[in-house]
Amino acid sequence: MDYKLEFDNLKSKALEEISKTDDLKALDELKNKYLAKKGEISLMMNHIREVEDKKAFGELYNLTRKEVESFLNEKIKKGEEKKLNEELVKERIDITLPGNNFERGVANPFFKTINEIEDIFVGMGYSIATGPEVDYDKYVFELLNIPHDHPARDMQDTLYIDNNLLLRSHTSSVQAHVMENAKGKPIKIICPGKTYRRDDDDMTHSHQFAQVEGLVIDKNINLGNLKATLELFAQKMFSKDTKVRFRSSFFPFTEPSVEVDISCFNCKGKGCSICKGSGWIEILGAGMVHPNVLKMSGYDPEVYSGFAFGIGIERVTMLKYGINDIRRFYQNDLRFIKEFKKVKED
Amino acid sequence: MLVSLKEVGKYVDISDLKAEDIASRLTFSGIEVEEIKRSAYATDLVIGEVLTCENHPNSDHLHICRIDIGTEILDIVCGAPNVRKGLKVIVAKVGCKLSNDKVINRGEIRGVTSNGMLCALNELGVDPKYLRKEQIEGIEELPNDAKVGETRVLEYLGLDDTILDLSLLANRSDCYAIYNVAREIGALFNREVKIPVFDEIKTYQDNEFKISSLASGCPAFYGKIIKGVHIKESPKWLKDVLRSEGIRSIDNIVDIGNYVMLLTGQPIHCYDYDKLLKKELIVKDNLNEKFVALDEKEYEIKPGDLVVTSDNKTMCLAGIMGGEKSEITSESKNIVVEVANFNFASIRKTSNRLGLSSDSSLRFSKGINKDQAQDVINLITHFIKELSDFDECSQTIIYDTLDHSNKVVDCSVSYINKRLGSSFSYNEIVDVLTSLHFEIENIDNDNFKAVVPNYRIDIDGKADLSEEVIRYKGFDYIRNELPVMETTVGSESLLRSKERLIESYLLDNGVDEVLSYTLINKKDAEQFNYINKNDGIEIFNPLTEDHKYIRRNILSSVLRVMEYNINHKNNNVSIFEISNVYSKGDKEEVHLAIVLEGDKFKQDKINLGSKTYFDIKGLLEGILKMFNIDNNRLKFLPLNDNQEFHPGRSAKVMLDGKVLAVLGEIHPLKRSEFSLKKEACVMLEMNLSLLFNTRSANNKFVELSKYPSVNRDFAFIVSEEYSFQMIKQEVKKISSLLKDVHLFDIYKGEHIKEGYVSLALSLTYEKMDGTLKEEEIAALDNKVKETLINKFKVEFRG
Repeated sequence: MDYKLEFDNLKSKALEEISKTDDLKALDELKNKYLAKKGEISLMMNHIREVEDKKAFGELYNLTRKEVESFLNEKIKKGEEKKLNEELVKERIDITLPGNNFERGVANPFFKTINEIEDIFVGMGYSIATGPEVDYDKYVFELLNIPHDHPARDMQDTLYIDNNLLLRSHTSSVQAHVMENAKGKPIKIICPGKTYRRDDDDMTHSHQFAQVEGLVIDKNINLGNLKATLELFAQKMFSKDTKVRFRSSFFPFTEPSVEVDISCFNCKGKGCSICKGSGWIEILGAGMVHPNVLKMSGYDPEVYSGFAFGIGIERVTMLKYGINDIRRFYQNDLRFIKEFKKVKED
Repeated sequence: MLVSLKEVGKYVDISDLKAEDIASRLTFSGIEVEEIKRSAYATDLVIGEVLTCENHPNSDHLHICRIDIGTEILDIVCGAPNVRKGLKVIVAKVGCKLSNDKVINRGEIRGVTSNGMLCALNELGVDPKYLRKEQIEGIEELPNDAKVGETRVLEYLGLDDTILDLSLLANRSDCYAIYNVAREIGALFNREVKIPVFDEIKTYQDNEFKISSLASGCPAFYGKIIKGVHIKESPKWLKDVLRSEGIRSIDNIVDIGNYVMLLTGQPIHCYDYDKLLKKELIVKDNLNEKFVALDEKEYEIKPGDLVVTSDNKTMCLAGIMGGEKSEITSESKNIVVEVANFNFASIRKTSNRLGLSSDSSLRFSKGINKDQAQDVINLITHFIKELSDFDECSQTIIYDTLDHSNKVVDCSVSYINKRLGSSFSYNEIVDVLTSLHFEIENIDNDNFKAVVPNYRIDIDGKADLSEEVIRYKGFDYIRNELPVMETTVGSESLLRSKERLIESYLLDNGVDEVLSYTLINKKDAEQFNYINKNDGIEIFNPLTEDHKYIRRNILSSVLRVMEYNINHKNNNVSIFEISNVYSKGDKEEVHLAIVLEGDKFKQDKINLGSKTYFDIKGLLEGILKMFNIDNNRLKFLPLNDNQEFHPGRSAKVMLDGKVLAVLGEIHPLKRSEFSLKKEACVMLEMNLSLLFNTRSANNKFVELSKYPSVNRDFAFIVSEEYSFQMIKQEVKKISSLLKDVHLFDIYKGEHIKEGYVSLALSLTYEKMDGTLKEEEIAALDNKVKETLINKFKVEFRG
């Protein structure tokens, strides 16, 4: 018997059958048919007794078996891949469906501004102070060089509780509290807080609004220090190249007093609708602490000097985001609030 | 304050300056110019004469006129009722641009060509309030001597003025006087200012008339009797000035009073001498009577109001408005002129109380120059002589208790530079102050004395001088340098940093942060007060009932925010607010309120149902965990007997025996009040001040057991009269080996009888010094079962 021919025929038959199918089950059956213990190739081994050149027979057997086996394995691997691919297609999801909800809540932009201003000044070495909104006449007016007959105390401006107690009309009242507590030591604070005036609510007025008061007192504080401080603040708050401009003004508790304009962050000074064509935007009032205020709070104005400023939270927020009606902050329409989801501005 | 530049130009030469430049310089130096106005504006005007005037064939009111304008004859259609042959008129030629930007074109009006327009003054931009009815209804009628062909028409009309509208701050009340505005402009532009000074005119000595003050609010009163005046119309130039300044012309005497007030800032009043009850004017502040003022209205005079009296009857509401009784009319012959000093606070108080103000009260209430009374009297006498003439004039009758010495400020160059952060030289500073009309007395090369000009009532000390220097020089002279101080560590206040912690926790959990008003209405102020039980605070002078009460809770306000959003179809509201609340007795607390409405925060695309009590309780527990508050210190008590929370689904949370928070579902009867339909909402209010001020355990590492722990599950049915809190506490007491009690299932409904609930607990046993043995575990199991059966009568399940 020509076992060589026999092996060749068996191999051709097996390879042909294997090549005809991609089905994993059929391939498994073919594995059984040829390579299992009772498989056709395995059974060829029974003939070894009949041949003389057992070595050559053995080699031929192994070669045939290996060739069939590797071809079969290759086919199985391909079959498995195909099956997996079919399954993956079936498992496909609509990748445009919304993700599961891990949305962060959104803060009214009012709070964003307060936190941002606090962070800027804390970064500059300031501490945050707080003071009462319901306060005494003494702190809101008297100690701030606003004597009893000053126009700012007129009943139409301030909300009173009784002759002596009122809702503060500015955060400057915190100056008096802080100086009282500091007992003549240097001061470097800001104080954010709500303030109240006897005003009708409209697009630009609100009976409730908020300010951030700033106060620095030491032995050599001057007006240039104030300008540099506010310029740095404006650059952090609005944009890097912001410039600050002072205009002479009047507040009873500062001397000199200034209105502070910043160069328009929108048009860079060329003139646009935000700055009403002037290239500058008025953002806050400031000045050197009035010697009378220092004196009344126990600081010797011949030794100490200081500056103070008051930033309107709503005003800054309205400018920064282009909000045109102050009542928006207090209406809390969630559609309005949700517009401010970005946590940090660029 | 309106300032005519034409008038200013009489005292300081500004002919070469543009109004815009003056305005800008003033604004930066502290006198804000709000607007630059022209008294009138039009191009291509010419004076013409109506040669013929015929009726338009196709109209019953139009006329076809031939107008001689000197260089040519124009045909113009005109509809004015007063146009007639021979009239001198203002002609707007084709191409003329009027004040409202309207351009005159050649046009055809009902078939007739019209080559221009005949004008009324309001068409040139003159405010109609200064015009008579016939001037508005018809065209302007020019005097016969008007020159035909004259093209400088606005100049001819006295309407070529530019007016600065000043928005004055409280410190610069001196600029309510044109003289002082001229002085300021002169100083800022380095120009000489010439304010005219007149000598006193006096033709007889009056020893009979008495002027005095019995009120401390009137420290000075100067009067002068002028006899035989001629009351008549003011000359055109005076009417033009007053119009520019926004004041209506009345008659020559009233107009002179107003004009002198505009020039000097000193309010003037004139009385009819013959109508005074006695030959006296006495200022008092203790009257209680009714008074009819020049506006023909009756006012109630009360003690404290300054009044000028004659025979103890009010003749004038001092500094505010004169009285009908002593009013000057066209028949008046003899007058008394008043130049007085009334205390600003008294005037403001009376003016506010009566709701009555005037140009005079405006100036008094800001404070006036106290040192110019005689000069003002002389100025008025001069104008009355010129514009009315008179027969006799008394000496000035003076009551004056004021100190008229000059104010002197000690100052130094080094002080100014140190305060400003500047490096001005001695000469620079002296030059500025001298320009601003201070008199400087040198002391040494640093120190000087500055004598303050008497109209600058705002200057008190050397800090004021530093402001004068920098507002004059400009703020570019200061060095832009950050303060050099001892290094400080910037820090959030403890309160704010804790607030911000809670803020970011709630935001991270998908709750939005809102901002509502502190002042609320009575209804909201009186509901949801569970934490702060002190009396509320009411505003004494509220603007509206809606904002009259200071809130003691913020839950009502946050519920209102929810309501607003439901009404605006913003569904699934999850909101919070952190704010101060106030109550009587100086009590300030920080509160947090949360309201959750609608569907749960969706973690998947499956509807998890509405937000419940446990969602809001979860947020509360999250916050308490951040502050490491031991559960043993907390007690959840039911909120029985209330109309605001669902009595079965709400709790009062006690921390060390004090109310920390209330939370729960809204009472079904309250839903409609906040626009909730069928769905409920859950809400919480918490006293953050109590939380922040309580001691809380610090984080400290406790050694972990090296040995494995054992979890045992117990499922049982128990009566609802026992709360989970009670069961847990009791079980925990069993053994120190019991580390944790965890609820992992709760079931109510089918197969469980009414009033009972099925609970499944997972208990963790753990030993520090070894592995738990079988018998130890069994013993613990038995003890747990025993406790549950004995204390809570539970029935174990399968």
